[in-house]
Amino acid sequence: MEKKQLMEIIAGILVLLATVGTIGAALLYDEHLWGGLRTIELTAQAPERGNWNIQEIHLVRGEPVRIKIRNIDTVSHGFAIPELGISLNGTGEIKPGNVGVIEFTPDKTGDFLFTCTTWCSTQHMQMTGRIIISEK
Amino acid sequence: MKNSMKILIMVLVLLAIPIVILAQTEEPKEKVITINAQQFSYTPGTVEVNRGDRVTIRLISTDVHHGLYIDGYEVSTDARPGQDGSLTFVANNTGKFVMRCSVTCGPFHPYMIGYLKVKPDYRLFGSIWLAVGIFIGSILLVIRRQKP
Amino acid sequence: MTEKILGLIPVDWRFELTSLPYVRKIIKSRWMPFLPIVLNLSVFTIILMAGFVGGVSAGNYNFGIMFVWIVWWLLLMMVMVPFFSRIWCMICPLPAFGEWLQRLGFMKVRNKLFGLNKKWPKALKNMWLVNFLFLGTTYTTGFLTTRPIATFILLMSIIIGSIVLMAVFEKRNFCKYIGCPVGGFLGLYSNMAVTEIRAKDPQICKDHKHKDCVIGNEKGHACPWMILPFDIGRNTYCGMCLECFKTCPYDNMAINLRPPATDLLVDKNRGLDEAWKAFIMLGIAIFFFLIMQGNMGFLKDWANAKTTEGYLTFVVLHSIFNLLLIPGVFFVFVYASRTLGNKEIPLKKLFTNFSYTLVPMGLIAWIAFSFGILFPNSSYVLHVISDPFAWGWDLFGTAHFPWTPFLTGVMPYFQIGTLLFGLVLSLDIGFKISKQTFQKRDEAVRGFIPIAAFLTAVTIFLIWLFTG
Repeated sequence: MEKKQLMEIIAGILVLLATVGTIGAALLYDEHLWGGLRTIELTAQAPERGNWNIQEIHLVRGEPVRIKIRNIDTVSHGFAIPELGISLNGTGEIKPGNVGVIEFTPDKTGDFLFTCTTWCSTQHMQMTGRIIISEK
Repeated sequence: MKNSMKILIMVLVLLAIPIVILAQTEEPKEKVITINAQQFSYTPGTVEVNRGDRVTIRLISTDVHHGLYIDGYEVSTDARPGQDGSLTFVANNTGKFVMRCSVTCGPFHPYMIGYLKVKPDYRLFGSIWLAVGIFIGSILLVIRRQKP
Repeated sequence: MTEKILGLIPVDWRFELTSLPYVRKIIKSRWMPFLPIVLNLSVFTIILMAGFVGGVSAGNYNFGIMFVWIVWWLLLMMVMVPFFSRIWCMICPLPAFGEWLQRLGFMKVRNKLFGLNKKWPKALKNMWLVNFLFLGTTYTTGFLTTRPIATFILLMSIIIGSIVLMAVFEKRNFCKYIGCPVGGFLGLYSNMAVTEIRAKDPQICKDHKHKDCVIGNEKGHACPWMILPFDIGRNTYCGMCLECFKTCPYDNMAINLRPPATDLLVDKNRGLDEAWKAFIMLGIAIFFFLIMQGNMGFLKDWANAKTTEGYLTFVVLHSIFNLLLIPGVFFVFVYASRTLGNKEIPLKKLFTNFSYTLVPMGLIAWIAFSFGILFPNSSYVLHVISDPFAWGWDLFGTAHFPWTPFLTGVMPYFQIGTLLFGLVLSLDIGFKISKQTFQKRDEAVRGFIPIAAFLTAVTIFLIWLFTG
C-alpha cells in the first residue's frame, strides 16, 4: 500500500515536470540567456502584416544595449541603422523564424531611422522605425 | 513451365521495343528559359529539355524574394523583384527533377514547386516496364502453380 | 502446406519478443507505458508552446510544425506502423489526461472507472466516423502544415475533447471511434505490421474462465480498448497499452515478430468501413502529393484558401475523388473479377475482401510520398531543435544550419523501389485473398487478373506522378 502511494506521488511529480516543468525551464533558460545587458526585443513583419513592433526605440548615449530582432514573418527581413553605420553581420538577412542580435553602445544623440534591408513585400519601403538617443 | 518462361521473355522483349523507339535522343541545343516566380508557383510549371542541352534559366520574381533549387543537379539561384537570377547547367541526367523554392517566401514556401523534365526519361520507361513485368510474372506464376 | 508471404516466410511464423526475460519484465512493469508517455508529454509541451508562440509565422522554421508534420508523420508512416503496429497509441500523450481522470490517478489500478462510463452506440462501432473525421482534417492541411497556430488548435482540441469525452464514454472509446483523426488508418495499416500482441497459448485462455484481461483485476485494468486480448485476430483495434500483460494470471500474453501483412488474410470483421478507409488513404496520398509536391499553382491557392470559391472547389473535388471516384474505379475492376471468376459470389463480399489489397499499396504510397518530404526538408529539423520557440536560442549549435536538401538525385529511385516492392506485396496478398474468396483455384486465378491489373495500374500511376 505504502509503495503504491509513493509510486503515485513520483508519477505525479513526473507529469508536473513534463508539463509545467518544461515550460518553466524554457522561460528560465531564456531569462538566463538574455539577462545582464539591457535587451530590446523587436519583432519584424512586413508592413501589411504589422510592421516593426515596436516602431520607436529610446536609447541613452553611452549605455550599452542589445537589440534582438525576431523575425516572426513568413519572408526574410533585415535590419540597419544607416546613419549610425549599424547593420547585421553576414548576409544581413534574418530568415523567418530566426533571430538577429545587434549589440552596441550609442555614441551620439539624435533621431535616427532604422529600416528593413531586404525586399520583403511591395510595401518594403514603409518598413521603418525611429531610434531616439538622448543624453543621460 | 518452359513455355511460360518463353512467353514471359517474349512479352518483356516486346515491351522493350517502344522504349527503344521513344528513347531516341535529339541533337543537344542551347536553351534559354524564362521562369516567372510568384507566390507559390512557377510559370511555366514544367520545363522540358533534352539530354545534353545546355540550359540557362532566367528567374524573374514579381512579388517577393524567391529562389530556385534543382534536385539532383544541386544548382540554385534567386531573384527579387527587379533583380533577376540566372543559372546554367548541362542537362546530363535524365528524368524528372523537382525545382523548389530555396528562399522562404510565405506560408506555402515548402510547396512552391516546378518540374524539370530531361528527356528521354529512361527511369520512367524502365520502371513502367518493370511494373508490367511484375504483373505478367505474377499472373504466370499463379497459373503455373495451378498444375503441379 | 502453409502459405508463405512473398513465397518466403510462412504466414504462421512467429518469434516471441517477450520471451527475452528482461523485455517481459519491462513490459509487465506499471511504469510501462507510463514513462514513455510522460517523456512524450514533455515533447508535446514544447510542440504546443512552439505552435502557440509561433502564431502565423513561417511553418518551415517552427518546431511544432516540423515535429508534428515531418518528424512524427514520417516516423509514423515509415517506422512505427510498418514495424511496431500501433505503438504510437501506446505512447500517445494526447488522451493521457482523460485516462488519468478516468482512473483518478496515474499508475494505480482502479476497476471502477470515474466518469459517466457510457457505452458507445453499437451502430457506430466502426471506422465511418473516423473516416470522415480524417477526411475533414485533410481539408485543413494547407493551414495545419504551414501555420503553427493551426497545429496548436488541432492538438489542443484533441486534448480537451479527450478529457471531456472520456469523462462521458467509457475507456478508450474516444481513441477508437470518436476523436482521433489518425486512429482509423493506424488501425487499418497496422494490419501490415511485423509485430503483434497475441495470447501465447490459446488453450490456456480457453480453460481460463474468469477472463481477467476483459474484466480487470488488482494488477491491471480491464482492456481499455474493449477487445478480447485472448482472441485479438487483427491488430486493428489493439492500442498496445499492455494492460493485458499485467492482468493475465498465467502470463500468457506475448509480443510477437511475424511476417508483414498477415492480418490482411484474417477473414474476420472485414467491412466496408475499412474498405473506404483504404480508398480515402490512397486518395489523400495522391491529393497531398499534388498540393505539396505538385507543380500546379492554382491547386495550392485552393488549399491555401486564397479565395473562398477555390477552397470550396478543393473540398468538393477532394471529397468526390476519395469517397466516390477511387471506390468507383475499383468497383469496375471488382465487377470484372466477379465476371471472370464466379458470378455466384456476392459482389459486396468480393469488393470488401479485395479492398484489403489496397492496404499495402496505400502504406507504400505514403512511404514513397514521405521520401519526397524527408530528403528535401528534414534539414529544417536541425534549426528547430536548437531554437524551438524562435527566441534566439542555440541549444545544439545548429540554429543557423541552412536549408540543405540531401540526396535529392537518388530520391526517385527510393520512391520507385518502394512502390515496386509495394506492388509485389499487394499482388501476393491479392492472390491469397482471391483464393480465400473464390472457392475453386481456377476461379481464384481468373478473378485475380483484374485486381492485379488494377494494382499494377495504380503503381504505374504513382510512379509516373511521383517521379515521371
